[in-house]
Amino acid sequence: MEDFLTLLLAGISVGAIYGLIAIGLNLTFWTTKTMNFGQGSVMMLCAMLTATLIARGWSQALAILAALGVVVVLMVFTETYTVRPALKIEGSMGWAVSTLGVGIVLQGLAALWFGSQALAFPDVIFSAIDDVVVFGVHVSLQYIAVLVLALALVVAFELLVRGTVWGRAMRAVSMDADLASVIGIPVRMIVLGSYIASGVLAGISGILVAQIGGTVDPAFGFELVIFGFVAAVLGGMGSTTGALAGGIVAGVLQQMVGGYISSAAQHGMAFGLLILILVVRPQGLFGQREIVKV
Amino acid sequence: MSAFRGFLTRLMTHPATILAAIAVLFFGAPFLSNGTVQILGFLMLNILLAQSMNLLTGIAGQISLGHAGFYGMGAYASGILMKTVGLPFLVTVPAAAMIGALTGYLVSFPAGRVREFYLAMMTLAFGLIFREVVREWDGLTGGAVGLSGVPSTTLRNLTLFGFTLDALDYFRLVLIVTAIVMWLVHNFIQSRFGRAFYAIHASEVAAGCLGIPRAGTKRMAYTLGAGMAGLAGGLYAHMIGYLGPESFDLARSIEILVTTVVGGLGSMAGQILSAIVFTFLPEKLQVFAQYQFIVYGLILAFTLILLPRGLAGLLLLPPRFIKPASLKHVTPADVAIQPVRSDFDSTLVVEGVTMRFGGLTAVDDVSLELHPGRITALIGPNGSGKSTLVNVISGIYQPTAGTVRFFGQAITGLADHRIAAAGLLRTFQDPRLVPRFTVRENLLLGAHRRYRASALATTLNLPSAAREEAAFLATVDAVTRMAGIVDVADQPLESLPYGYRRLVEVGRALLAQPRAILLDEPAAGLSEAEMTLLARMIRAMKEAGLMVLLIEHHMDFVAELVDDVVVLDSGRVIYHGDIQGMRQSPAVIEAYLGAPDTDAGPGDSGLETAHA
Repeated sequence: MEDFLTLLLAGISVGAIYGLIAIGLNLTFWTTKTMNFGQGSVMMLCAMLTATLIARGWSQALAILAALGVVVVLMVFTETYTVRPALKIEGSMGWAVSTLGVGIVLQGLAALWFGSQALAFPDVIFSAIDDVVVFGVHVSLQYIAVLVLALALVVAFELLVRGTVWGRAMRAVSMDADLASVIGIPVRMIVLGSYIASGVLAGISGILVAQIGGTVDPAFGFELVIFGFVAAVLGGMGSTTGALAGGIVAGVLQQMVGGYISSAAQHGMAFGLLILILVVRPQGLFGQREIVKV
Repeated sequence: MSAFRGFLTRLMTHPATILAAIAVLFFGAPFLSNGTVQILGFLMLNILLAQSMNLLTGIAGQISLGHAGFYGMGAYASGILMKTVGLPFLVTVPAAAMIGALTGYLVSFPAGRVREFYLAMMTLAFGLIFREVVREWDGLTGGAVGLSGVPSTTLRNLTLFGFTLDALDYFRLVLIVTAIVMWLVHNFIQSRFGRAFYAIHASEVAAGCLGIPRAGTKRMAYTLGAGMAGLAGGLYAHMIGYLGPESFDLARSIEILVTTVVGGLGSMAGQILSAIVFTFLPEKLQVFAQYQFIVYGLILAFTLILLPRGLAGLLLLPPRFIKPASLKHVTPADVAIQPVRSDFDSTLVVEGVTMRFGGLTAVDDVSLELHPGRITALIGPNGSGKSTLVNVISGIYQPTAGTVRFFGQAITGLADHRIAAAGLLRTFQDPRLVPRFTVRENLLLGAHRRYRASALATTLNLPSAAREEAAFLATVDAVTRMAGIVDVADQPLESLPYGYRRLVEVGRALLAQPRAILLDEPAAGLSEAEMTLLARMIRAMKEAGLMVLLIEHHMDFVAELVDDVVVLDSGRVIYHGDIQGMRQSPAVIEAYLGAPDTDAGPGDSGLETAHA
């Protein structure tokens, strides 16, 4: 029973991070119907920079801010030089290839700079051994902190999208970019902003995952994006609530399968889940069927 | 430069050169060092992989970011089947191809229901997860340590028909297999299948409206591409005798993708050039190995934007999608449109069709009928629902209410390619052709639904398939004559002015031998001369007994041609009858001029100027 509760909490906590990654993917899906296939490297780079800077004696807050700053620059570059030109080529998914290319470059550079070995990730808030007792079960404080932080980010994000002018402008762009442009919404800025926000969410997710796992290496990230994608598809592409719910379902299933069956099955599970949901309910749990305009 | 391209293209694609290259490799291999023969063996596998990726990405426009996963499925399948189960080479290698193909089919299974980039993400997921599962499932795969002792030429325990194969024999075998597969793929690409793949790539909606099923075609592309990768994997397994998960990781998938992109999407010859570069470069250039991953990343990030056609675009002529041999055997035919037999059931009946988008009613309870040999004009102001109605009839939208019956059968809600297959064709307001195809290739695409030769006969280039192709090419000739586009028949469509594109699109629909045709503003943007040609085509359709629905704003053009007129306004039918009656109809005048009680008499001035 204690095992079960530990796995459940770990699943919910990791799942909330998948949800964050999924929301990041949703953001660019809204504005341009694209997503960054190299998002995993953004997560990796952010976590690696944070770890390296803290190891060099920077304060934690400053290290995280600096790493996120690098992510912002990177996303501006990605959107400007790889997504936008590729979108101009009609009938092509060139953007999927070019964004993946940027991710591969980053992974290669990280391996060159930091070496391909895993770096230890410092304890930012709690250490892995801090725990509290809930219902007679020892629960890692780290998991709880990550969960709370992830939930807070989701809520803040939702408020931002629903409550602010920028959020409404973004929804207008997602409905019809041409029309939005005609009525004076700076579409270009909104698209760029969606890429930046998407990268920042990915960067934070990277730091949170690294915090739980304790290490980070250059190959870290690609698989996390797959789980983020599974979460987004499971919840329904474009839905924020769905992303969080999908992430938690995927996280819990992953932990349970890993804990009770095998870690090989744990990896296969994500893929099986993806195929299953696309066959049974392609619009996901909370999504709506798309009407393709002709 | 273009002369050089022509020369190089002829050289690389000439049967004599290809046979000579194969012979040189086959008979020259004994004079090479063992190391060189092995690298040449890897070159063959890289060519196979690049061709498989080219078929999937270059031709069908679908992206695989986990190709090493399919490759690995084949390698482990053949390795395990031979080492653990004890099956012979002749069974395990074909099994590897089958298992690869099956995996590709499963990954692409949701093709019809999701955006295309989902499939790219699924291949990425598959590639990553394949490696993880191989690493963890050590009982079957040897795990991270790898699977050693697979019967191979290095261990000298690989046999075929009782003979032990050495490295040289095996290279020759791989060479022959690669050559045969390439010949088959070449036949496949230069047939209706390759053209259908490329049509899906260019415009799914247009392809669907020619009777090309989108989901099925994508699944076929993934199945064949993954099957070829699986075959390469099966051959790889017995080249070294050891399989490790790191041979099939993301880096390998990236390498295959890079080879294809650099070679030039769509070009088989370009793939060979590129495979040569990427097989020998890392071997010869140690510095390159260190920065390999970064260089590959940079190539992926920028090649498609800066050099979208890769090496082939620089060095070779664009690939063609009709076999040159078929073009030589075309016998002249005069009939562009086969007469349609009709009886009293031959109608297209639209009954009470309503189409709502959220709160907006675009088409409101519309009923109309088309009859064989009659041209019905559908007119109305912009936004009156004309194109929406055509989209409903042709199966692109599912109507909110109402039915469409064609030859007595309800076709409401059928997939667009099924409706096209039943003989109901359409054209688009903005011509949707394949820009890189020639006029002839575009027209031939229209005949897709009429081909009867099987995929096997086509891929083997059997005489029956070649005869069928020649027969359709003859019809293409007749249509180009009727449309007045004989001179440009072999020009790429993207190089032609707009008017030609319209004529080609109407011609393409005729190649499908429709029983009913819906023309969505075919005269928009045409010159007077082109309009005369178009009118000639439309009259020929009427004479052949087709049902014709003509959406048009150009009143002079409409008045000369039509038998019946239906006028839509705000999604409702406001007039049904002949064209004289329309000009006097108060409802129509009000719709166009927006003035219920002006002095302007029932003249036709308003409608004459109403064309957009």
